[in-house]
Amino acid sequence: MSALLQVNGLEVAYGPVRAVRGVDLEVHQGEIRAILGANGAGKSSIIRAIMGLVKPRGGTVAFGGRALDKLLPHKVNEWGIAWVPEGRQVFSTLTVEENLLMGAFGRRNGQATDTRQEHIMDMFPTLRERRTQLAGSLSGGEQQMLAIGRALMSNPRLLLMDEPSLGLAPKVVRSLFDLVEEIRARGISILMAEQNARQALRVADYAYLLEVGEIRGGGSAREMEASETIRRVYLGG
Amino acid sequence: MEQFVQQLVNGIMAGSTYAVVALGFGLVFSVMRVVNLAHPEIFMIGAYVAFVVITGLHAADEGLGVLAAVAVFLGVLLVAMLATGVAGLVLERLVIRPTRGTYILTPFIATAGVSIALQNSAQRLFGPDPVRVPSVIPPYTFTLGGVRVTSMQLATFLTAVAIMLALRYYVHSTRWGRATRAVAEKPDVAAACGVNVNLVSQLTVGIASIMAGAAGVALGLLYTSAAPFMGLLYGLKSFICMLVAGNRHIEAIMAVGLLLGVVEAMVTGYISSNLRDAVAFALLLAVLFFRPQGLFGSYEV
Repeated sequence: MSALLQVNGLEVAYGPVRAVRGVDLEVHQGEIRAILGANGAGKSSIIRAIMGLVKPRGGTVAFGGRALDKLLPHKVNEWGIAWVPEGRQVFSTLTVEENLLMGAFGRRNGQATDTRQEHIMDMFPTLRERRTQLAGSLSGGEQQMLAIGRALMSNPRLLLMDEPSLGLAPKVVRSLFDLVEEIRARGISILMAEQNARQALRVADYAYLLEVGEIRGGGSAREMEASETIRRVYLGG
Repeated sequence: MEQFVQQLVNGIMAGSTYAVVALGFGLVFSVMRVVNLAHPEIFMIGAYVAFVVITGLHAADEGLGVLAAVAVFLGVLLVAMLATGVAGLVLERLVIRPTRGTYILTPFIATAGVSIALQNSAQRLFGPDPVRVPSVIPPYTFTLGGVRVTSMQLATFLTAVAIMLALRYYVHSTRWGRATRAVAEKPDVAAACGVNVNLVSQLTVGIASIMAGAAGVALGLLYTSAAPFMGLLYGLKSFICMLVAGNRHIEAIMAVGLLLGVVEAMVTGYISSNLRDAVAFALLLAVLFFRPQGLFGSYEV
């Protein structure tokens, strides 16, 4: 079965700095795949390149068999990929409700959007409570829910999550990853970049290890958990 | 006391156009992080369009009835807004979009060039001296409780208010207005939500230009003149209004524009019209000195 998302030989550079060097990865329909790595390894750059926010210097990105690499981000979104940025990045001067509406901007259908919004607020009752509040006034965990809800508003086939657990309290992190499984259960595939290897491996089907822009290893979650390198460096022995 | 209220009213009437032009600056800056130095010249184009249309149609040669006058006024506004809207779109596509990006000064310089080109073109086409823009609005003066307001002042004020209300509605209550706010805050995230950022940029410059054009018509008729360099002083003051208001809330920019109008009216009325500009600038600069982020602003800029 061909992969939903296929990345081959991805090269991303910022000036002279090669942040992503010849990365191959793929995500199959219904999977959760994780890119593990330390700060600065290049995880965000991969995600941004897929989303069209940065133009790759080389390599290809294909989604559902169609080439993605020359598209602008709004087109990538139209094709069915949504982004949960690093650090939440909610629109703080917009209300919770307006943030959600922005998520559905690419889908112009008014009726379906309303339904979707109700659906998302069922998933996140706190958001319903705060629907007319400015997003900037929400707590970190609430903003994360909003950022995810916003991404889900466009009914994506693939969700790109960039360090979703960063800066969140441990209890919130647990429920976050539970949520990730819930999202997959609804048929949405997920590619996430994470520093928190333990939690990521709990939910992922497959994980890649990224170091200094290169894939240094990859395998099923069980394999990765068992690996010596991972245990030592990322899981603390 | 009567003098005070009179000047207050005069100031609000005149200040409303400062507000409109300042809003145009503010809109483009907050959405695109670009200072469009050609904005005041688009304002000037509006005034000249009014001149061309009115003298071309010989619309003011004989007195017009009120209804006809309003119709002509609206017609002139529409033509000017169309012309300046198109000018704005062209400006965005040919000058602003290619120069946006890493170096902040590039679009600044590019639009400065356009501004100079437009000023010189106006000079070539219409001569360096101000031309007389015949006012189509029949000159009534309304008196309310001892305060005199001319029909032209009223027309200007109502036009400005209508524009500001329309802008506010657009920004707060429409899909594209919401997208505009999103792009102003976080363009990457907005793009990933499906917003065509280039389109929003075009729309934004277009709207700002339409606003400037309308303000140009209003002012051209109010002072019955259009001049190639009318944008300079006006634009500078409006720009500083934007800075003083602190680019965060539309209402703040509106308020500062009106405030400036009032201050100028007071200075003209109580002190001397010669000192008007000096005092205006002094005050604006004083505010910026003590509060660089503007009265209602925050952080950067």
